Amino acid sequence: MVEQNEHDKKSGDILLELEDIYMYFGKVCALNGISMKVRKGEIHSVIGPNGAGKTVMMNIINGIYRPQKGSIYYKGERINKLKPHKRARLGLSRTFQKIELFGGMTVLDNIRLGRHLHLKSGIISGSIYIGKTQREEIEARRFIEEEIIDLLEIESIRKKTVHMLPYGLQKRVELGRALALEPELIILDEPLAGLNLEEVEDMARFILDINEEKRWKVTCILVEHDMGVVMDLSDRVFVLNFGNMIMDGAPKDVQANPDVVKAYLGEEDLYSTRR
Amino acid sequence: MAYLPCGVYHEKYSQDQAFWQTNFIRGKMVLLAVFSLLVIPIFLTDYLSEFILLIYWAMGALGVQLLIGFCGQLTLGHAAFLAVGAYSSFLLMTLPWPMFMHQIGAVYPLVLIISAIIAGLWCVLFGLPSARVKGFYLILTTMAAQFITVDFFIAKYVSQIGGRQQDLTLSSDLVKIGPWTIDSKVDIYLFGVILLVISMAVVANLVRSKTGRAWIAIRDNDIAGEAMGINIIGYKLYAFFVSGFIGGLTGAFWGASRNIISVEDFLFGKSLWLVGIILIGGVGSLHGVVFGSLFMVFLIWALQEIVGMIGGTGNIIYFKEIAFGLAICGFLLFEPNGLAYRWWQSKNYFNLWPFSY
Ligand SMILES: Nc1ncnc2c1ncn2[C@@H]1O[C@H](COP(=O)(O)OP(=O)(O)O)[C@@H](O)[C@H]1O
Ligand SMILES: [Mg+2]
Repeated sequence: MVEQNEHDKKSGDILLELEDIYMYFGKVCALNGISMKVRKGEIHSVIGPNGAGKTVMMNIINGIYRPQKGSIYYKGERINKLKPHKRARLGLSRTFQKIELFGGMTVLDNIRLGRHLHLKSGIISGSIYIGKTQREEIEARRFIEEEIIDLLEIESIRKKTVHMLPYGLQKRVELGRALALEPELIILDEPLAGLNLEEVEDMARFILDINEEKRWKVTCILVEHDMGVVMDLSDRVFVLNFGNMIMDGAPKDVQANPDVVKAYLGEEDLYSTRR
Repeated sequence: MAYLPCGVYHEKYSQDQAFWQTNFIRGKMVLLAVFSLLVIPIFLTDYLSEFILLIYWAMGALGVQLLIGFCGQLTLGHAAFLAVGAYSSFLLMTLPWPMFMHQIGAVYPLVLIISAIIAGLWCVLFGLPSARVKGFYLILTTMAAQFITVDFFIAKYVSQIGGRQQDLTLSSDLVKIGPWTIDSKVDIYLFGVILLVISMAVVANLVRSKTGRAWIAIRDNDIAGEAMGINIIGYKLYAFFVSGFIGGLTGAFWGASRNIISVEDFLFGKSLWLVGIILIGGVGSLHGVVFGSLFMVFLIWALQEIVGMIGGTGNIIYFKEIAFGLAICGFLLFEPNGLAYRWWQSKNYFNLWPFSY
């Protein structure tokens, strides 16, 4: 009970909390007692070498995986048992490291799917279409055009089929789809990976925009390899190494930590032996 | 709605999202309506049976298209839901309805809707495993639907109701909607057109709104769909319901068109043919449902003509199966996107003609 009260007190400030999370795949330990607190309004980055367990961590937050041990709190409520679509309802959205768009659909339809929870018309009014559904669809279209397409500067491709688009634009569309949900918390799993310099700059700007603009004020969990961007954007940085937390602190403290440097040097080795 | 006729621009979102965007397309739809509501019933009466069959196949395939083409749930047991609709409608008609309801023609519409709902719920029942299994395993459970429903439940019990040893019948003067008694071939045909147009419109509307987009999301990428807040299991079951509902209507229509039904009408082969139609017409396309059915009805008709011409007494049934099987193989090999894709290609070609690239 005492612990519960403690959570209530914190929940004014803390949006998401991971508490002592253990995740095993068979005998492989992907996360080894991880704890993390994400405060409202911040950009909280998660870094670590390949295979450190970052994506697993994101999948646990979003509900694709269930940890064997530990708790996930969202606004003070324990959400371990909630399925991903229920968590989306709470205001949690995400993008994926390996782009998970609906390839055969247009850009507009992909973003419309992000709008799913804001559309209320059910199967009956949907099958009649004229009236309620039509009004709602036009309203959704207006939202998408004015808030998403405008923000992400993708006017020219709105009717293009997604799998024909270049990689960088697909990443952008995926961000658009995640934003259409109007989330409070967004998980960005390596949004910059595979982008060229110009695209990285654009994407970094979008992330800052949605985090800072009054219209959005989205709290971000950012998984990223690009240290320059991470140190520039983040309020806090969480460092993960093969399932273990190394540290969680302000960017400048992270840069000064010798363990972090070692973990990243380790990664360089990994790269060189793999390729 | 991704491809506009060349040179069309919109100023309002509502225009951009409308079905029929130019006067030319609207004109085509009017022509189609005139053809199907006037030309066929007045001038092409010799072919009414073929057109009724066309409607029947198209409606049956529409339900399959919804599940396979739009929601990605493989099914090989759809004839079961046709059977449930047909048998429900026949049995419900034998209930002691008050006389006045018969007089005002309210019984049949009511029975039609109840039968469709029963078929829809029956379909949901066999869709429940889709919460856990996909692909091959789901095919097995839908095949179970086929055999449990038709070969066991209906053959062993339902068709024995009332001590009858043979097929159920329905007197055609009972098939009455309001003042309209559906007893002649033309009536059946028009009734079918109405059912088909409504079913098509419902599916088309769903596909361009929230529900249908959720179905397509499940088909294309269920993990991403769920992350966007789609209740995957719930929407799958919706798809099974609507598909079964349309299947029920189809079965009831079949019953009304022949006034007699038997287990033979709904065997496994029929489920396979329905899937074949969407393979030929084009998976995931509403046009494809009609094209596939047209192809099939034409194929059967042509075979009959040929057999008649050479005066063969050979069994047309086997010819039919073989020809249809070959056609499916041919399409899978040479035109895997189906007739609808061909249609779309040639349309695009003419939209840009003469500057076609
Ligand atoms: N579904 C899974 N089944 C088995 N092992 C997994 C699965 N997902 C991730 N892993 C393992 O967990 C570890 C962490 O992976 P991941 O989180 O993808 O790393 P990254 O930090 O690069 O995103 C890896 O060793 C990976 O093999
Ligand atoms: Mg990863």
